Amino acid sequence: MKFNLLKQLMFFVIMLSGSIIFGQTVTGTVTGDDGPLPGVNVIEKGTTNGVTTDFDGNYSIDLTSSDAVLAFSFIGFTSQEQTVNGRSVINVQLIVDAQALEEVVVIGYGQTTVKDATGSVSAVTSEEFNKGVIASPEQLIQGKTAGVQISNSSGEPGAGIALRIRGTTSVRSNNNPLFVVDGVPLSGEASSAEGSDIGFGTSGAKNPLSFLNPNDIESISVLKDASSTAIYGSRGANGVVIITTKTGKGSQGGLFEYSAALSFAKAADTYDLLNRDQFLAGLNQFGLDATANDFGSNTDWQDVVLRSTVSHDQNISYSNNYGDGAIRGTIGYAKQEGIIEKSSLERLTGRVNANHRFLDDKLKLNAQLSISQTKDESPPLSGSAGSKGDLLGSAYSANPTWPNDPTFNLEGNRNPANFLAYTQNESETNRQLLNFSAEYDFTNEFTAKVNVGYDHSNSTREAIASALIDNAESGTSGNGAGFINDIEVSNKLLELTLNYSKEFENSKIEALVGYSFQDFKREGRNVEGWGFISDNMNQMASALTAAANEAEGTIDGSFQQYGYGPNLPNGFVNRLFPTATSNDLNYTNSAVRSVVGNTFDFTDELQSFFGRVNYTIADKYLFTATVRADGSSKFGSDNQYGVFPSGAFAWKINEEDFMGDSFSTLKLRLSYGITGNQDGLGHGNFVRRERYADPGISDGGDVNPPGLTAVSFANDKLKWEETTSYGIGIDFGFANDRLTGTFDFYRKETTDLLLRTTSAQPAPQPFVFENIDATVLNQGIEFSLDYDIIQSEDLNWNANFNIAYNDNELQDFAGAIEAGTIRGPGLSLAFSQILAGGQPLFSYYLRQFEGFDANGQGIFTGGVDNQTFVGKSALPEITSGFSTSVSYKNWDASLYFAGQFGHYVYNNTANAFFTAGNFGTARNVTPNVLTSGESTSAEASVSTRFLEKADFVRLQNASVAYTVPLKEDGAIKSLRVSITGQNLFLISDYSGLDPEVSTNPDDAGLLNNLPTAGIDYTSFPKPRTFTLGLNMTF
Amino acid sequence: MKREHNKLKFYSLLMLFTVLLYSCTDLNIEGSDSIISETTGGGFTGVADPASSIGDLYNSFYSNLESQENLNAMNVVTTDEQLIPTRGADWGDNGIWRQLHTHSWTPAHLFILRTWNDWNQNAFRASEIIETSSTTAAEAAEAKWQRALSMYHIMDVFGVVPFRGVDEGPEVDPKVLTRTEALDFILADLNDAIAGLPSRAAGAEAYTASKEVAKFLLAKVLLNKHIYNGSGSADNADMLQVMTLVDEIAAQGFALEAGYFDLFATAPDSESIWTIKSSIGNRIWNGMHYKMTAPDQSGGWNGFSTLAEFYDLFEGDANTNYVGDGQEERRGWVPDAGNADNTTNFGIGFGFLIGQQYDETGAPLTDRQGNPLTLKKQFPDIVGNDETTGIRIIKYHPVNGAFNQHQIAFRYSDAHLMKAEALWRSGGDPTVLVNELRTLRGAQPITSVTEQDLIDERGRELYIEQWRRNDLIRFGQYTKDWEFKNPAAVGDETKNLMPIPASALLSNPNLVQNPGY
Repeated sequence: MKFNLLKQLMFFVIMLSGSIIFGQTVTGTVTGDDGPLPGVNVIEKGTTNGVTTDFDGNYSIDLTSSDAVLAFSFIGFTSQEQTVNGRSVINVQLIVDAQALEEVVVIGYGQTTVKDATGSVSAVTSEEFNKGVIASPEQLIQGKTAGVQISNSSGEPGAGIALRIRGTTSVRSNNNPLFVVDGVPLSGEASSAEGSDIGFGTSGAKNPLSFLNPNDIESISVLKDASSTAIYGSRGANGVVIITTKTGKGSQGGLFEYSAALSFAKAADTYDLLNRDQFLAGLNQFGLDATANDFGSNTDWQDVVLRSTVSHDQNISYSNNYGDGAIRGTIGYAKQEGIIEKSSLERLTGRVNANHRFLDDKLKLNAQLSISQTKDESPPLSGSAGSKGDLLGSAYSANPTWPNDPTFNLEGNRNPANFLAYTQNESETNRQLLNFSAEYDFTNEFTAKVNVGYDHSNSTREAIASALIDNAESGTSGNGAGFINDIEVSNKLLELTLNYSKEFENSKIEALVGYSFQDFKREGRNVEGWGFISDNMNQMASALTAAANEAEGTIDGSFQQYGYGPNLPNGFVNRLFPTATSNDLNYTNSAVRSVVGNTFDFTDELQSFFGRVNYTIADKYLFTATVRADGSSKFGSDNQYGVFPSGAFAWKINEEDFMGDSFSTLKLRLSYGITGNQDGLGHGNFVRRERYADPGISDGGDVNPPGLTAVSFANDKLKWEETTSYGIGIDFGFANDRLTGTFDFYRKETTDLLLRTTSAQPAPQPFVFENIDATVLNQGIEFSLDYDIIQSEDLNWNANFNIAYNDNELQDFAGAIEAGTIRGPGLSLAFSQILAGGQPLFSYYLRQFEGFDANGQGIFTGGVDNQTFVGKSALPEITSGFSTSVSYKNWDASLYFAGQFGHYVYNNTANAFFTAGNFGTARNVTPNVLTSGESTSAEASVSTRFLEKADFVRLQNASVAYTVPLKEDGAIKSLRVSITGQNLFLISDYSGLDPEVSTNPDDAGLLNNLPTAGIDYTSFPKPRTFTLGLNMTF
Repeated sequence: MKREHNKLKFYSLLMLFTVLLYSCTDLNIEGSDSIISETTGGGFTGVADPASSIGDLYNSFYSNLESQENLNAMNVVTTDEQLIPTRGADWGDNGIWRQLHTHSWTPAHLFILRTWNDWNQNAFRASEIIETSSTTAAEAAEAKWQRALSMYHIMDVFGVVPFRGVDEGPEVDPKVLTRTEALDFILADLNDAIAGLPSRAAGAEAYTASKEVAKFLLAKVLLNKHIYNGSGSADNADMLQVMTLVDEIAAQGFALEAGYFDLFATAPDSESIWTIKSSIGNRIWNGMHYKMTAPDQSGGWNGFSTLAEFYDLFEGDANTNYVGDGQEERRGWVPDAGNADNTTNFGIGFGFLIGQQYDETGAPLTDRQGNPLTLKKQFPDIVGNDETTGIRIIKYHPVNGAFNQHQIAFRYSDAHLMKAEALWRSGGDPTVLVNELRTLRGAQPITSVTEQDLIDERGRELYIEQWRRNDLIRFGQYTKDWEFKNPAAVGDETKNLMPIPASALLSNPNLVQNPGY
């Protein structure tokens, strides 16, 4: 009862602050095109007196004056005013504001319209999404937004995607933005294991977002500047991407939707390699022994490892807006085959979105439940393959006279057919993302919301190489090796928010305060096996799983790790708790001669308090201020909390009288904010922790039990990395916003860089995480233009262009950290980039190649061992997109081009394989090697010889669709068929397959823990895809 | 209805606040993944299990000493004993090997940095064990030996040795011990270790420290003491102590043993004082050509070679090394069509591989281009080599297994030669001692042993056992000219110390770069 009293008291105060009650009551119904409109604001103009319509569009308002004017407003509709004139019933139909409806943007903890946004926010809705084969949500908005660089670094299904908003702000691995799905901020960590080294190198984790069915997504908002991301505080520094899934709101009476896509893909480009005759002629030309190297066949090894594929994707959904709520359920199944043998992505998803209103619509319950199962199959590819290469490397360099036969073995060489046949890498990830919220309107002004989210996934990856594999590293040949990596991730979210919204005579205030708690638990195990009795890879995987499970079953109590091997038949168990002890395992398994297993289990927490105030004066001057205090368990008690404020101001100049009608939109935006970042720091680096070192199996199968060692060089001074951003922007529109555009200028300074630097030895580890007193500066310009060139009943034509320039530099940094590992034969320990002050990130540091001398040896400025900065970086200066769509009656078509300019890519593939030195060892090369003047005894040093301009323009997407005209009352309500082409052509001078590339090893394979960019080492070729699509509702 | 409404409102608010109260967290992490040191004020409270940490530090030694890179590269590849020529693209490796052999390395050299990081880290980990209150006296003695070994390598390679107290965090710049201070520190640790460690007789498994292992290291330090403290000439008392230490080791049954290449098999012998559990795979594959194979083992890496002038230190035919070429035992032999077999040699030679090579059936091998695999003494240059240039070395033979964890770190014949050298440095005549070894190895006795004979004998006995750099410096020959050495480096005494790595200098302002860099 107390609360009721409190409420009434509050009411009273609010009423007092308004006016005295006049007495007359007006009732009515507000409708839109589709029927009653709930939630419409009905305000008595010039007062603070207002109500909102209930679910049936009804309202009732007590007026305060006799000559009242009622203002009806609702997001997405043109506002309307009605003079009461003594009427007691006023029914109103609101007209959809087509322009405004599109421009509703979801922002952090709320939504706004583009017109009212003070920050730099872009929203892309499902109609504008890219079509075709979409493995992951980021691809839906690729190229749609200025200043957002989305790079598919690989053509592999489900591969990681690099997403950079306004440049690269951090020097550590993770520069991806924060993803928020239906209000649940996701953890930035991978949910599946990275690829372990079973004898040919490691590979990075798969894209963690691929669990989302792109067909379920309603809109994606990109928050670019600090004023919009600061509400996410410590996780806003790289921008925020908010994904909203579809609800059943637009489907009164129930609607089924079925969509299907059938896609055909093949490699967009392949290398021009020597065929049998050219190869043998080349050997003769170089005075090499063609007879000894002729094995009789004519094999196109790229044909052996590449394939044409058919993929399909089907979704069925049911949605119903049943009055007090809406529900949408969907089931999707997609099977995407990669254009390399043994690569695929299979995804089964189910989702239910439901909302329901209770108690006169004052209580809204919302649930979003999604489950998914993703199965990945990866070919033996690696970002860290050594001298013999991975599957692609060996396919590029394999002698074309070898037979396409897995049993063909030539000592010291890797046969791609053998490699393909005797490796297997499969993972399965099950993920559930559950989200419930309850929102309650205490009064017209106050709304409280509780949001509970649970994100859980478990993933198993089995990587197996059979004993039949030849010339693998790590003692795999003849023995067989396997890894099982299990990861279970569970993130819990609790969020409480309180909204206050009030309109005054000439101003409006919206305020939000909130609390958020999120924990991130990761646990799992890494099991390694060696020496298998079977050479059947499925049996090997089962045997290893059984051996690990049985071994673990024999252990009483908690343990960190265990293992056995021929040299250690009694095995070992290492336990951390309750006290550190070691004892015998007393388990062996005859099917696997050596096994080691190692577990991990840790939880990190994030606790936040945040608030935001929007204040609007005369609908012309908009102010926003936000602050978030974030506390993280990744820092010591002195530095746990960081405070991240921001402020923004927008001025709708076109609303000023002096502007006249020349502009339909003219808005100036100013913003400032501080955001933070702690990604990539890892667990517990601020305190001394001990664990048993990671166990391993030697090449000969020996297992040496690890002992306890300090996990990291504890640094209790660690604190948040901070990015301070300044932005100024102008939005403009002419002719009723038929032509609109945006200019943005920004400057971002990232300081207190969290960086893993060299420890001052002696120290427990070679590296220590520290906050470095240096600055990463990103500054740039973004421009976008959207024009409805033709608007008519039958014919519509729209064009959209965006371009962004970003300048990146690391400043005030005293060190010089090597990065950008180059790999391949004779390229161990080679690198191509240095992280140094006064240079952009990913700056190339190379020998200057001047050509070949008379003996065919390379000439380098200043000698063969003289590497210098060459003034070039892997970061594009300009990213751009152009899209246009035209519709004529039932036909519509669209084109989308993407381009990046001003950066360089290091052709590591050519450096590693397409040199005379390689040809001299009877490996295949491209034809230019035969005429380059290089000697077979020359060393292919890392140099500008392999550094190439990476500028490109790509026709990313083109589609034509036909909407079949149907009878009004037929069983089928709508039917649409389409054909979409992806990656149709590429304009680029790059000699490799595709300049939009970056090869990623796992984190341990990164030199000095620095991320890589611009290095093309046997990248997964990109497909060219054609998709037939069908979409029907009934 | 209204009442229900209010109730709901009440409960929902109540729930909200309870949840809020419950959910507020102090953001402490739990020890589910690791043992977290419960400290107040960031102090060090000791390692959780000293025995386990000692074990893991041995694992660290094993992996540090197993690699052909880093410390091995400092001690072997920078000398006349080994050359890794660039063959086409192979072994170019960004010039990292060439810079070592030509003595043109810089403070940015990766192996130099890793050597610094590896052994300083080992020293710190040993300190943590020593400073733990639950560490027993025996464990402390073992950890002191571990620290002495770690600091010895830093002192030997870099001169100065940084030191960090166990409770000093990343914000503390470690103090830097001069080479003389470091020498005293190491000697003190070794004396404590010798006092506290148990004795271990010859022939037993020798993976860990013992009194004899510590005495060997002490003898090594004392033999080099005049280099480390800059006095320039050996002190007679030190030399006497070296000889005494070697005699004390011998008293535990350690002795020279016949059958040179058998010493590098896995069977116990009386020469192995400290053996490490490092795979000998690298030692094997570094020396083998791609086409040389053993059953179930892929071919070698075709990189590491030796200089003609080093090969010429041995007696025997200068251009071939087949059986009967007049060579002594330690130069080994290359199987040919007459004696290659599939059980005792797989066609792969012992010791120095030169001339035409054969497979296990006695058929001549070819290189990957189809040319005869005839290993040549000479190189056209340090780059631009084909697969056949350079004599290869196989000391650990694949016939004994390619993956054995049995790499010899301290060997008695080294101690024996240390004794001979100490005798010579203190004015005695080592001829009898040197000839004792030579006779056992099937070499002609030397009538009167000179300084050059002593360093050459160490080269012949201990090649690729990671002592060559140390030996050459002690004999003043590290700066002499050899094939492909950068002329500017010849006679440059500053090369006797490696530079402090560039990133180490940045990380610790107390460090001063060594002269010449």
